[in-house]
Amino acid sequence: MLRELQQAFRRGVLSGEDDPAALAVIAPDHIPPAQRFGIYRNNTTGSLVGVLMAAFPVVTRLVGEPFFRQMARTYVQARPPRVPQLLAYGSDFPDFLSEFAPARKLPYLPDVARLEWARQEAYFAADAVPLAPQSLQAVPAEAYAGLRFAPHPSARLVDSRFPVQAIWEANQPQNETVARVDLGQGGERVLILRPARLVLVYTLSPGNFALVTAMAGGASLAEAAGAALASEPAFDLQAALAGHLQRGTFTSFRPGAGEEKEEAQER
Amino acid sequence: MIDTKLNSLTIAAALAGAVSMAAFAAPTTVHAEDEVQCYGVAAAGENDCANAAGTHSCAGQSSVDYHGGDWKLVPAGSCEEMGGSLEPFEGVNPNPPA
Repeated sequence: MLRELQQAFRRGVLSGEDDPAALAVIAPDHIPPAQRFGIYRNNTTGSLVGVLMAAFPVVTRLVGEPFFRQMARTYVQARPPRVPQLLAYGSDFPDFLSEFAPARKLPYLPDVARLEWARQEAYFAADAVPLAPQSLQAVPAEAYAGLRFAPHPSARLVDSRFPVQAIWEANQPQNETVARVDLGQGGERVLILRPARLVLVYTLSPGNFALVTAMAGGASLAEAAGAALASEPAFDLQAALAGHLQRGTFTSFRPGAGEEKEEAQER
Repeated sequence: MIDTKLNSLTIAAALAGAVSMAAFAAPTTVHAEDEVQCYGVAAAGENDCANAAGTHSCAGQSSVDYHGGDWKLVPAGSCEEMGGSLEPFEGVNPNPPA
């Protein structure tokens, strides 16, 4: 009974069409039930649209607010919240954008949204103390190649064929003018990180991006370095690693299983 | 194999070098948390706005039904000022800056 009513209520809110079962339980007064329900529906939708606008300010600026609101309303109806946390709402908004025909003229829009969502996730990710570089000095150098590093909980990687970070920077809500971004300058690979309080963004070379992607995926340092060199022959491993140790991309390390196997073979 | 670009020794040397490079710069990392604390307040405030937008939405929401919007709408933000951004990207900027 309650379940049916809740489902009718949900249909009435999300479909945008009045559901007789939901209207039937609203006591009529000087405001007709359908109109009363409409207020509730618009408040619900408006709240969620507001959440999306707050999470995607650069996308909002790129398309303009009227367009964004209409687009967000369509998203809310197509993909309503599934988790009772507003900060989690919008995770598949970038995917929605890539399928959203009226926005096709802006092919980079989904990737800008991915970057904004990665920033949002990094902001709300668990706090963690970055790895102290000195702690590696306690490890014998022979074991270095087999080490596996755990990424910081806030670390996010965004790979785009567009200069997505440049677009993001050019379209900050407080910018009065928009710097020209040349889409022909090629793609950008971005690391988002919140080692302390601030969300930080780094644009990485192809090799460096391959390195972090592999390391964050559980690869050993040797495997990750191989992936990095494969995508960028002139890759500078030492400089890249120093950068990650300084920014706090990783929080801990452990010896890899492969390393132990090699030792066993040597015996 | 002499010409192996990547072996355990070169990797170990790279990490060892990186550790000593990073160790010199480490103090800034350690104290970064204290230094940026004030920024954290502003960022959190922004996000409270987002939550406020989500939880207190009564203002300005009329009973007019938005449903059935007209999708003749065209993106009209700053995209057009960026140069070349309205065309699909194919390696070369299709609309060079005027």
